[in-house]
Amino acid sequence: MDTLTFLLSGTLLAATPLLIAALGELVVEKAGVLNLSIEGMMALGAAVGFIVVSNTESYWLAIFIGGLVASALSVVFAAVVLLTLGNQVATGIAVGILGLGLSALIGQPYESMTVAPMARLPIPLLSELPIVGRGLFDHVAVVYLAPLLAVAVWFMLMKTKLGLIVRAVGESPESAHAIGYNVNAIRFAAILFGGFMAGVAGAFISVASTTLWANGLIAGRGWIVVALVVFATWRSGRIVIGAYLFGAATIGELLVQSFGLAIPSQLLTSVPFIATIIAIVLLSMDGRSIRLNAPVSLGRVYHVTQ
Amino acid sequence: MHFKTLTWLAVAGTLFTAGAAQAEEMTIGFIYPAPVADVGWAKQLDLGREAIEASFGDKVKTTVVENVPEGPDATRIMNQMVTDGADFVMLGSFGYMNDGLRLAGRNPDVSFLHASGFKQTDNFGTFTPRNYEGFYLGGLAAGLVTKTNTIGMVGAFAIPEVVAEVNAITLAARKANPDVEIKIIWLNSWFDPPKAQDAARALVSQGADVLFSLHQDTPSVVNVAEAEGVYVVNTGSDMSAYGPNAVLASVTMDWTDYFVREVGAALEGNFNGSDFRGGLSDGAVKVKAWSKDLTADQLAQIKDAEAKLMSGELHAFAGPIKDQKGQERVAAGANLPDPEIFGMNWLVEGLEGSLPN
Amino acid sequence: MMRLPWVIETKTERSTSAPLIAPFAAVAITVCAGVIILSILGVSPGKALFFLYFAPFSSGFNISEVFLKMGPLLLIAQGLAIGFRAKVWNIGAEGQLLLGAIGGSLLPIFFNDSQNPLMLPAMALVGGCFGMGWAAIAAWLRARYNANEILVTLMLNSIALQLLFYLVSGPLRDPLGFNFPQSALFPDVGMLPILFSGFRVNISIFFAIGVSLLAWLFVERSMTGYKLEVGGTAPDAARYAGFSEARAIWLSLLIGGTAAGLAGVFEVAGPLGQLQRVVSPGYGFAAIIVAFLGGLRAIGILFAAFFMAVIFVGGDIAQTSAGVPFSVNIVLQGILLVTYLAARVFVDYRVRFGTRRRIPAGAG
Repeated sequence: MDTLTFLLSGTLLAATPLLIAALGELVVEKAGVLNLSIEGMMALGAAVGFIVVSNTESYWLAIFIGGLVASALSVVFAAVVLLTLGNQVATGIAVGILGLGLSALIGQPYESMTVAPMARLPIPLLSELPIVGRGLFDHVAVVYLAPLLAVAVWFMLMKTKLGLIVRAVGESPESAHAIGYNVNAIRFAAILFGGFMAGVAGAFISVASTTLWANGLIAGRGWIVVALVVFATWRSGRIVIGAYLFGAATIGELLVQSFGLAIPSQLLTSVPFIATIIAIVLLSMDGRSIRLNAPVSLGRVYHVTQ
Repeated sequence: MHFKTLTWLAVAGTLFTAGAAQAEEMTIGFIYPAPVADVGWAKQLDLGREAIEASFGDKVKTTVVENVPEGPDATRIMNQMVTDGADFVMLGSFGYMNDGLRLAGRNPDVSFLHASGFKQTDNFGTFTPRNYEGFYLGGLAAGLVTKTNTIGMVGAFAIPEVVAEVNAITLAARKANPDVEIKIIWLNSWFDPPKAQDAARALVSQGADVLFSLHQDTPSVVNVAEAEGVYVVNTGSDMSAYGPNAVLASVTMDWTDYFVREVGAALEGNFNGSDFRGGLSDGAVKVKAWSKDLTADQLAQIKDAEAKLMSGELHAFAGPIKDQKGQERVAAGANLPDPEIFGMNWLVEGLEGSLPN
Repeated sequence: MMRLPWVIETKTERSTSAPLIAPFAAVAITVCAGVIILSILGVSPGKALFFLYFAPFSSGFNISEVFLKMGPLLLIAQGLAIGFRAKVWNIGAEGQLLLGAIGGSLLPIFFNDSQNPLMLPAMALVGGCFGMGWAAIAAWLRARYNANEILVTLMLNSIALQLLFYLVSGPLRDPLGFNFPQSALFPDVGMLPILFSGFRVNISIFFAIGVSLLAWLFVERSMTGYKLEVGGTAPDAARYAGFSEARAIWLSLLIGGTAAGLAGVFEVAGPLGQLQRVVSPGYGFAAIIVAFLGGLRAIGILFAAFFMAVIFVGGDIAQTSAGVPFSVNIVLQGILLVTYLAARVFVDYRVRFGTRRRIPAGAG
């Protein structure tokens, strides 16, 4: 493995879970709901996925069930914010704590265990390309699927009637309600989808990327996901770019450290975070794109009195 | 009525025996910074706890609180332990030091053992592994087996204990193979296995064919080494089951003898807080799981060095040693004294990178 | 399909009993869940629940611990709530707290043998400014460049942690401490006075309560507080009244950052007594929940911070004394917070059960 191969493959591997979870969160936020429980849902998906692989050796089943269980946890979030009108920020953090606790509880018997890695799917011909072949085209299938998912989410949101309804609900729930859409049902579905994607992302980390389970495995990546959606100014294409850039920055930090420069390592570790701030400043200078894409009702409690 | 009487008798009996037992048995509380898993620092401490139970049987009762982060909450947990009647407390992380000392000051009847600290009192002892001795052997092996002449290390924080290990590895590896180049990546994170793995892959991409997993509790780096077909030396427990082809050696810690000895002293009322620094010669540090890929000749060299380290004929930091700027730190014929080993904040010649000062 | 079996209406008046019912309902539900989980795991539920919810009140030491834990939560949450009411989402209290701890540590580290009684106020001043300055970065980027403050404050949390790691393992390290990554212990003049000998709670709890009073006056009684809230919720109306969105952003973040910075000073000058790698067990994030549990109102936050401190301290005690696994502890905390947030519906709205011939709220 040479430097470039590692930079490419490491970036894809680090970015894939961020991308998948961020696409889910994008749909949730487009529907006007801010769900900050991603970290906990990813952790639960990771624990469940790992347990399924340990017992069945079926990776796809593990990723699917990981998503499903995280989705079940997001029902709790949906119920509190939609049915009892709980504050979204606080409920998100609280459900996140619940998810982290549940992952630690069910993962306890599997602490520090490993599983065999998921089989890679080298793409014929492409994976034999010089220089970039192994870095880009010799991965588990999920890595290739993630950008395709981004296209699917973009298509759903921007080109289908369903997407129009989701966005309408996020822009103005009152108007969406007035023209006959069930705002809560749509938001409920969006939250379930977001939970599923976060669970899939978590399961990807435990069964395909690290192939081990340990309490605290997600280590703050759920918060990066939240930042990524904001960074992308609520656009699918920019989520893809943002996820790969952030992945590349974290990989680049480690590479630069291995060169042995006389720079404090803590400064290098901070580089991806500093770079993200600089990037958002550059992207935000023109405020129009944000105002165009940010869901107007994001985070607001929706409550029809009469 | 009959049933009721029986129940009362049973309850009274339990109370009585519990009371009687309490008068004799010694309660020993253990606080670990991480969950007890199959491998890792907390696991090695817990093996020590099991050894105490096996040796003293009914005379002791042990309790465990795991996954206690350093910081203001750890204090509450150790205080609660003492309030609940613990006679002996094992503090399994450096960060518990100051509050542990305060608690020990207020409770002179309670004995304390504290991992990796540097302050002792009559009832507050400390224990630190001389892991650098084990890693010296690991470095020797790495220097012997590397084909790319590149060794990579993954560490969490550049604390003195780990810096000493990094230096010992470098000295030994360059002794076996003067052309060896060493690369380090610091994670600067309490716990992040995915990042540790990325760091390991980054090192492999830079040509490292022997990795060192410094104080990573999970087999994260071992896993990558196995997948990438390189060797790895890890800390804590024997991790050869996680990387049967990759593990070159595991530098493990064994606290069983030490814990049993200290608890035994406390049971006899002779506990005296001292500073225990256990290395190869006391069996506190053991290098296990030597790879079968090592040739008989290589293994003989390693075993020879091990025997000399144990006898004191060889010291991991025997002079002359220069730091990375070329300044002499240890003169020829001298050994680096303990306080400087355990407070190391400079890198030896041949290492790149920098430490904050 | 999504028709609800109850009707939620906006309240016309505030009831006095509802705010008390919510936490008790939440505890009741959590207790039921706890009994089930603990029974499955073979831990005695009665014993565990006693230690979780009663033991925090069982001794002077434990009560002192509750107030010790409550202080930073209360202080940070009051600061954050002012910003949240103006819809400024400062998620960076954790980083601002760390900067406050760093700033507050400079004087006692560099003047380690000082006996100047002004040390403590000076530390608070420097630390508060550091916290404020860290938040000001986010305020400036938002006001000047429109950079979203959620993202910037989240990133600044990670950067603050690396800065702390760098400083305690380098420039601020104790020169006599064998190069361990921690600072020298603070001199006595740099420590907050303890309230009761042998217990850890210090005078900073009174400061936090005093700040709560100020927050109440600011939010409920002052014109600036009112304008600030309007500035966030209805920027156009506020601009008309001569109060810009930018001022709302600056004021919100500076207040939140200062409060968090002070909390950081009080941690290093209180229970820690030095600067070290771990300063906060996530106070900056927990305070966000506290702010909302308290309904973003100063008095509500006072009770919410107490409630939160009780469940944290109870969790630690239960882990030690009843052998409750740490994971169960976190699960029960999660359930408790979630059910409390759900139960708040009774505080914030009027709920009538049974379907009337009206369009159910929020269903459509």
